[in-house]
Amino acid sequence: MKVDKRLLFLLPALFLYIAFTMFPVMKGISLSLTEYAGVGEATFVGMDNYKEIFQDQRYLQVLKNTLVYGITVVIFQNGLGLIFAAILNSIPAVRDAIRTALLVPSMLSLVIAGYVWQFLYAPMGGGLNELLVSLGLGSWQRVWLGDSSIALFSVAAVHVWMFVGYSTAIFLAGYSGISSEVKDAARVDGVSPIKSFFYIDIPLLAPAITVNITLATIGTLKSFEFPFIMTAGGPDYATMTLGLRIFQLIFSEFKYGSAAALSVVMILLVALITVAQNSYLRSREDKI
Amino acid sequence: MDGITIKSKVESVDSSSNSKLASIFCMRNIKQGSMIFLMSAVTLILLSPVIYMVFMSFRSRREIMMEPLALPTKFHFSNYLNVIADMNYLGTVMNTVGVTVVTIILVSILSSLAAYPLARLRSKVSSLVYVFFLLGMVIPPFAALTPLYLFIRDLGLLDTYAALVIVYTVGHLPLGVFFYTSFMKAIPKELEEAATLDGASPLKIYWYVIFPMLKPITGTLAIFITLGVWNDVVNPLLFITTNEKLTIMPAVLRFLGTYSVDPTKLFPAAVLASLPLLVVFFALSKQIVNGMTAGAVK
Repeated sequence: MKVDKRLLFLLPALFLYIAFTMFPVMKGISLSLTEYAGVGEATFVGMDNYKEIFQDQRYLQVLKNTLVYGITVVIFQNGLGLIFAAILNSIPAVRDAIRTALLVPSMLSLVIAGYVWQFLYAPMGGGLNELLVSLGLGSWQRVWLGDSSIALFSVAAVHVWMFVGYSTAIFLAGYSGISSEVKDAARVDGVSPIKSFFYIDIPLLAPAITVNITLATIGTLKSFEFPFIMTAGGPDYATMTLGLRIFQLIFSEFKYGSAAALSVVMILLVALITVAQNSYLRSREDKI
Repeated sequence: MDGITIKSKVESVDSSSNSKLASIFCMRNIKQGSMIFLMSAVTLILLSPVIYMVFMSFRSRREIMMEPLALPTKFHFSNYLNVIADMNYLGTVMNTVGVTVVTIILVSILSSLAAYPLARLRSKVSSLVYVFFLLGMVIPPFAALTPLYLFIRDLGLLDTYAALVIVYTVGHLPLGVFFYTSFMKAIPKELEEAATLDGASPLKIYWYVIFPMLKPITGTLAIFITLGVWNDVVNPLLFITTNEKLTIMPAVLRFLGTYSVDPTKLFPAAVLASLPLLVVFFALSKQIVNGMTAGAVK
């Protein structure tokens, strides 16, 4: 049997990918069964790191925070993005200009956006509270990042702010694939804009919805920058997410075994959610 | 186009009712106008934190304390000069650009080379390898961080640009393989077949026939890599110990720290760190939007 020479072209990429991605992932799984501080020998501790994760009240809260954060961002970022795209699609004169302007926040980095919003959210002299006073809404003032009942949502709002333009741009790309004849026909038949949005736009936007939800889910589940810069996970663990906890375990506590175990939990969580989402969203696409 | 459809409909139904026609146009104009107004207002609100960031960067500490929301009365460029000097701004920008460019070159060559057989061969092996590469896209970057650190340490690459280039290149290989494979499947095979008949080797065909045709998708890939490298803080913090070798975002992070940040440092640093990407974004906004949204439409 003659092997196609072109298969050799796979080797450089495959070698690097195995050496620097798959091998470390496998190593990470074995490291998660040990206690290791970076120097000396790793001590085998079996499933202790995992037991700690699923029995410790704080870790359960971290998982809950991560999910609440993810769900909040996915719903609001895509909900608003869809509404913006629907409106922009009906005003072609300014559509492209506004689409570009809305993308500007997503061109800042998470670090920069985190710093700017930390300042905007400051309880004394912060932009948001000062603005509320000058609008005569002084009673709406809050300690946005210091109140454990709202801090997680304050951080999630920044995530939505930053990436809503990206969702809008993807939905607009979806809109450009919908032929205008379908919508014109519906309008001529007297279908109201709201009805046509729900019964024509949303079904035809199925691929864009899949892309948007998948991107937003992966993006939020692994992000740690906002809570890291704005709240350091506080107050009282209210904004501690999976990504930030792993970051802390590696960079400030040097507990590499626990970090590896939490990373394995994160891989499983991300894989589970994205696979479930994708098979649901794809089957929805196929039905249409 | 919307107007024409309605016009022809109205005319076919009742050609004499010009007033009805006018009122429909008028209604549509008012509706369009109010929608434009609404979205402009929304956009302005969403951009206000960015505008605030720029205004604040020119104000002195005293002005900010006295009136947190006021416009700058006079432009304090000294804020900027201090930050540029203290943060080693030009040096970190050059580091970031250098690492980004080398990463883009390596990823585009390695992953397009791998994608060529994956796009052309219909065998179990190639589809298995393809799925194996795609697996890398769902693995969160944190997952392998600790073992990767130990590995890079054992290779003696800590505190080198090579560590960053390797990590970024390998991190973007799955995305590159995914992009190039789907792009190459759409390229007709005739050109390659002609070249094969002329006796060209597969490597020559890849380099002279295939690679030059990949420019559009390479542009899209370059955007994703640039955003990824530019915004990353974790890898440089982990692998680089010398401040002079840091890339831009971790340099900002080290410069500012995390608690009670001084606004006269924060805002100029934020503007300076965002500026290069924003300039590129406005220069190439059309291509970037098209690249970032590719895949949303089947």
